[in-house]
Amino acid sequence: MAGAQASETSDEDDAGPFTRWVQKSIRNPDRTYRAMFYVVTIFFLITTLFPFYWLLVLALTPTDLVDQAGLLPAGFNPEAFITIFEQLPFHVYLFNSFVIALGTTVVVLVLASLVGYVFGRLDFPGRGILMILVLAISYFPPAAFLLPLFRLFTGNVEILGLSSPFVFNSPIGIGLPLSALFMPLSIFILTTFYGQIPDGLEDAARVEGTTRLGALFRVIIPLSAPGVATAGVLTFINVYSEFFFSYLMTDGQAQNWGPLVWGILGYQTQYAASYNLMAAASIIGVLPVAILVVIAQERIVSGLTSGALKE
Amino acid sequence: MANVTLEGVTKRYDDVVAVDDMNLEIPDGEFVTLVGPSGCGKSTTMETVAGLTKPTEGTIYIGDREVTDLPPKDRGIAMVFQNIALFPHMDVYDNISFGLRLRNFDQDETDRRVENAAEIVQMQGMLDRMPSEMSGGQRQRVAIARALVREPDVFLMDEPLANLDAKLRVHMRTELQRIHRELDTTVIYVTHDQAEAMTMSDRIAVIDGGRLQQIDPPLVCYNEPDNLFVAGFIGSPSMNFVEGTVDSDGFDSEYVDVAFDVGPMALGEGDAVTLGIRPEDIYPAGEAGSVSDSTAEIETTVDVLEPMGDEIFVYLLLTEDAESDLEDPEAGDQLQMSVDPASDIEAGDSVSVVFDRENLHLFDTDTGQALEHGLVQPTQAEGTTGTGAETDD
Repeated sequence: MAGAQASETSDEDDAGPFTRWVQKSIRNPDRTYRAMFYVVTIFFLITTLFPFYWLLVLALTPTDLVDQAGLLPAGFNPEAFITIFEQLPFHVYLFNSFVIALGTTVVVLVLASLVGYVFGRLDFPGRGILMILVLAISYFPPAAFLLPLFRLFTGNVEILGLSSPFVFNSPIGIGLPLSALFMPLSIFILTTFYGQIPDGLEDAARVEGTTRLGALFRVIIPLSAPGVATAGVLTFINVYSEFFFSYLMTDGQAQNWGPLVWGILGYQTQYAASYNLMAAASIIGVLPVAILVVIAQERIVSGLTSGALKE
Repeated sequence: MANVTLEGVTKRYDDVVAVDDMNLEIPDGEFVTLVGPSGCGKSTTMETVAGLTKPTEGTIYIGDREVTDLPPKDRGIAMVFQNIALFPHMDVYDNISFGLRLRNFDQDETDRRVENAAEIVQMQGMLDRMPSEMSGGQRQRVAIARALVREPDVFLMDEPLANLDAKLRVHMRTELQRIHRELDTTVIYVTHDQAEAMTMSDRIAVIDGGRLQQIDPPLVCYNEPDNLFVAGFIGSPSMNFVEGTVDSDGFDSEYVDVAFDVGPMALGEGDAVTLGIRPEDIYPAGEAGSVSDSTAEIETTVDVLEPMGDEIFVYLLLTEDAESDLEDPEAGDQLQMSVDPASDIEAGDSVSVVFDRENLHLFDTDTGQALEHGLVQPTQAEGTTGTGAETDD
């Protein structure tokens, strides 16, 4: 670098532009941090948003031109977004996934709240070991359960002469195993949040006239809103976008509670794969989650900034 | 309105006894203060009354009901907490009316009661504030209003003033007394501050090591403490203690001798006893005019003066060699005296002091139990058997 030997007093005009930039940055580190912030942010934005852009490119490209699509769509065919609803009852698939995810989230939040209360606020022998056991469940490979669960859910297991209920092709078939798999994460999050609520608040609620359970729902959970929102959103997204059980616990018919994944795969027939329709369906499928995250994010941020936990 | 009775209440944690065989009988309408040092079990005692902690043994009655196994909400109590414990996500109105809404009071009655309670604690017009927008004193008043509004049988207050600054604390003290006078409800009040206990209560229950030491009106605890612990805990600055033995003509120790008639007391020569004198019962020899019956003079040296404005605390050394140790006034070689602010005593002076016999206390050193309050002079007319001070070393 010419002029890189610039001493403090040397005229900055002698130095090259890069040297000057470096000197400015040394004198004003905030510039560097800002520059790095933009670099990193832009990197993450590209890696997360480009797949969606690519989906959009694919969705807008007519089927027969798919192999010519580059950074810009080859042609312009927004009809795909309508076609997907004509070829399959895609809205039903959306609805199915939404109901299954919502139901699972509610079940998980209610149960995990009770467990989180116990782990976070009560002291009892063996708490640490029990907590680890619960967390260990989330590390089980889901595939390991599949065959026994499938037999159980299709009524092929007899216990004391009673055959198990037939829940294949129902929301329970998907929701039940997923509740169990995603519960530990919610328990962990809620335990942390509930454990931080001062004892005095719970005592006050109990003296004022609630039971322990009432104190949980009237005081502890409202004050832990950010934690509950986080656990809820994570569970919802996980279940909504889950593939394995969603694919295997129904036969894929819309009227048989086939979820989103079956809907998207439905555009792939034995002889042709309509990539543009699959891409369009994926974009539509992502929308509910995107909206949910935007809403929940506002709640989380408002929960954190309102000073709700200031004691 | 209800009396509260504790019978043999004991609370044991794994290997700690927090409350040990506590028996209390609190009549309806009384203001009782549980006082003691940190960790003495006073808060645990209150928690058992509140139902937040279940006693290991013993029974608790509120009114005529046994409440030992009832949850807090069914005990007819209200509680004010040390950390105030307002619900941060509710405004003042919702905080105060929380208990009423749980009990399905109708809206008019709730409004009327909340208004009334807010008026008592002088928080009208602030009902829509959030707790985070209020000062510590305001929050504490809301917490008190929340307790008032349910018109409970018993008020429990767990160091409600501990987190307030000194000025506000004195103010809230009088407010609480006024509220108690207006409502005439049973109040159980926990504090570690003996001044709060002295000023507010009908009776003080002094607790140490999980055991009840004495329960009596404040002045009885002050003037006739049952044991060394109560004597040292109640009163500020605390009582002077001098350890010694009983000899034929009274109390004998290295620096302080006090003659009294040993005869009628159950004491034998050589018994280890401790003499207790409050700072205000020590007088410079020339200024004991108001005292009808004083002991012989004791020679001392003035070590440190602490002028408080209305009085001066004087630290007296009983021997020139005494280590000035203000941290440990029970070392036995120094006394603390309070004198009139007009006094011209200065540090380094030699001062002769006398004790007011009527306010001397004698304790058994081993058991700590009080033996005698007020040590009368021996019957012989010449009351000079008390050899006074020997400032030998």
